[in-house]
Amino acid sequence: MTGQPAAAPAIEAVGLRRSFGDVVAVDGVDLSVPRGSVLGLLGPDGAGKSTLIRMLATVLRPDAGDARVQGYSVTRQANRVTPRIGYMSQKFALYPDLSVAENIEFFARLRGVAKAERRARSLELLTGMGLADFLGRQAGRLSGGMKQKLFLATTLMHRPDVLLLDEPTTGVDPVSRREFWRILADLNRAGTTVLVATPYMDEAERCTDVIFLDGGRVRHRGTPAEIKALLPGRLFELRAAEPRAALAAVRGLPGVLAAHLYGDIVRVLFDADDVAAVEAALAGEGIDGAVRAAAVDMETAFAVLAELAREEVAR
Amino acid sequence: MSAATRIGALIVKEFRHLGRDRRTLAVVLALPVLQMILFAYAISFDVTNVSTVVIDQDRTPASAAYLRSYASSDFFRVVGTADGLADVDRIFDRNEARIAVVVPAGFGRSLAAGEQATVAVYLDGSEPTAARVGRGFAVALNQAYGQSVAVEWADAQGLDVTAAGQLEPRVRTWYNPERRSSDFLIPGLMVVIIMVVAVQQTAVSLVREREQGTDEQLAISPLRGWEMMIGKLAPWTLLAFAELAAITAVGVWFFHLPLRGSLGVLALGAALFVFCSLGLGLVISAVAPTLESANMLGLLLSILPAFILSGFAFPLGSIPVALQAFSWLFPARFMVAISRGVFLKGAGVAELWPELLTLAGYAVVVIAVAVVLSARRRR
Repeated sequence: MTGQPAAAPAIEAVGLRRSFGDVVAVDGVDLSVPRGSVLGLLGPDGAGKSTLIRMLATVLRPDAGDARVQGYSVTRQANRVTPRIGYMSQKFALYPDLSVAENIEFFARLRGVAKAERRARSLELLTGMGLADFLGRQAGRLSGGMKQKLFLATTLMHRPDVLLLDEPTTGVDPVSRREFWRILADLNRAGTTVLVATPYMDEAERCTDVIFLDGGRVRHRGTPAEIKALLPGRLFELRAAEPRAALAAVRGLPGVLAAHLYGDIVRVLFDADDVAAVEAALAGEGIDGAVRAAAVDMETAFAVLAELAREEVAR
Repeated sequence: MSAATRIGALIVKEFRHLGRDRRTLAVVLALPVLQMILFAYAISFDVTNVSTVVIDQDRTPASAAYLRSYASSDFFRVVGTADGLADVDRIFDRNEARIAVVVPAGFGRSLAAGEQATVAVYLDGSEPTAARVGRGFAVALNQAYGQSVAVEWADAQGLDVTAAGQLEPRVRTWYNPERRSSDFLIPGLMVVIIMVVAVQQTAVSLVREREQGTDEQLAISPLRGWEMMIGKLAPWTLLAFAELAAITAVGVWFFHLPLRGSLGVLALGAALFVFCSLGLGLVISAVAPTLESANMLGLLLSILPAFILSGFAFPLGSIPVALQAFSWLFPARFMVAISRGVFLKGAGVAELWPELLTLAGYAVVVIAVAVVLSARRRR
């Protein structure tokens, strides 16, 4: 099957599996990403996010299963997949001793971008990213945010259909992160499919779909709203004088599904539906503090889902 | 887009890396110059002017004449006299002299009587080369002197010395009649330098791609395995040849190294040898997990064999048998033989074909191993 069905999803994985020694990093992942979507890949460290992305990028061979990117198999048609993807590894993978212009020129030449196109496209991309004034700067001397933008620009030179981004904004300051996502949004509007692993929940909110990966398996998937709706009970915030002590006390209470610290606030997932009931339950245990109902955000959803998954494993 | 474009892009990039990396550049460019000066000039294996003290316990005209023969020789430099053996210890300890010649009392009387006269020559063995060579020259000198004394004595007695059929010792050194160590060292030195540069740089350059993560970006480009090899190896091949040419030029014009054979044969041998070295570097880069280990392995597998197991510094016959066997595993010994053969003996393909063939075979095998290992390494 070498043809490219017009309606094939941007990414379609079936039973992808890969282990390193005794550690199973990705344990049978099925995945379907429609064209034009922005899929956020969430999960704790070691969940298998990087391994999954590297297999989709054809730089890592699956032990079992296969995936198609834009209709082409990553195991059998890797050389048809690679021209259609841009891949940003978790590690900054450009040459630190080469300049901005030299890096972008080198990878574009390697990718077979014609000379005239190289010039126009790199100027357009670098200008759009605010890097046009740094053409002669060595890549290793750029700031974290500029490095990641350059890396992205480099992967965009050959106009890929699918972007595979492994934590592209980790360690980047908030302003640069927002700018990075603005660029991704522009690309997405122009039709590029984006798969992005991220530890930042505010970024997850900006995705059309998210996948929650843990222990090498897809635990949950849906729109950010759907993921948030997965949480049982209701979320309450407790402001206490001694948050850590309050957290410990709250954890044992009947009706508490999960609790965690969010800054100085204790966030409690309660099997009750009004503030009064929660206050009463807390007061009964000698915990006092201001309680209010809160909207579930991705941060909480992520923390609670991870906690519930761990409990499930422990049980 | 053609393979040539991609290989060209890679070659340009490699030279840019080299241009940016002052330290490597310094090593690659200065190493040959430094080593030339060190080995061919400062660290001379030539033994002349060995500092010598003389102890004359006989104090006769005969003993004085005998000791003058040391003073007039190029090999010994008489730096002083001493009274007894006790002084010799002190002089050796202070490194004031390496050789002490003691003429015992009764030397002149023995000679006059036509008997065998004995002298004692003490050598400071802590510097073996000087000691070994000094001993050789002292023996030769005594032989020659003893003979002339014998001839004089025979003359005085009215005997026919030619009838006695005495032999005159005569030493001739072939290929390097003046025994200049630079003639011997420079052809070997170029082998060492090419090996170090080629092995080390190749090993490091591929491992660096892995450490920087850029290997993944290369992997998802249309760049094919063999294109990558050519692009990575071409710059170092060019550089190795440039260094070879520079060393040959400096050797011939500055150190007056004779070039008796054909440059073509030398270039052919060098090309094969460069491929062997690059292949060795590739093997290292395939097995080394980190940049540091690649560096260490590169040093271990280039400098040591090139120095010790090639016949460059020590004759292969004088190293332990186990190491001699080991030396067959490295291409350096064949190239040293080719290089010295061409420069000093004027040897051509007719004489050097076994070495050339061995290098060719070695290159094929080692590059094949490298390709297999790095293919297995991927993914």
